[in-house]
Amino acid sequence: MIRPYEVVYIFDSTLEDEAITQKLEEVHALIAVDGAEPPNLNIWGRRTLAYPIRKQTTGYYVVANFDTDPEKLPEFERALKLDEHIIRYLVVLNDEPPTPAQAPGTRDGDEEDN
Amino acid sequence: MRMKKGDPIAELRIRVIDYKDEKLLSRFISERGKILPRRLSGVSARHQRQLSTAIKRARYLALLPYIKGYSS
Repeated sequence: MIRPYEVVYIFDSTLEDEAITQKLEEVHALIAVDGAEPPNLNIWGRRTLAYPIRKQTTGYYVVANFDTDPEKLPEFERALKLDEHIIRYLVVLNDEPPTPAQAPGTRDGDEEDN
Repeated sequence: MRMKKGDPIAELRIRVIDYKDEKLLSRFISERGKILPRRLSGVSARHQRQLSTAIKRARYLALLPYIKGYSS
């Protein structure tokens, strides 16, 4: 069975951008299944961590969405765990995608942040 | 007279809370970083359950602090 997943990675922020892109390709090769689209990446880039992790105060965030077979996950997560440049990651099932916030009272569009 | 306030999350037309939206989540934590009880925030039970998981995930990802206002 193929199910939708979302993964958030926090990379070591001292890593070069190219190294990160390369690492992403490597780990995503582990979850590739026939007929599935390549992972949809959302790169947040470097941001400050809410608390230090491994004495580091910033991390490079990447969010990936993809469909895969759950049987591929243990090996995928093992690779993430072993990688010292990934300071943290989170894999969640994304079968109910979150709804974006909208300002109260407004119809579609008209987004407002406060 | 006290007004019954509606669910602030439903007002934003959110059905499923996003754990990556730390701006939204930060409205539901105390100044020490604790999750606010629904008695104070007026969030519906369904959304409070979602909120609690979302905040915990956001904490794990260092988007939100476990303890706020504490400097080592």
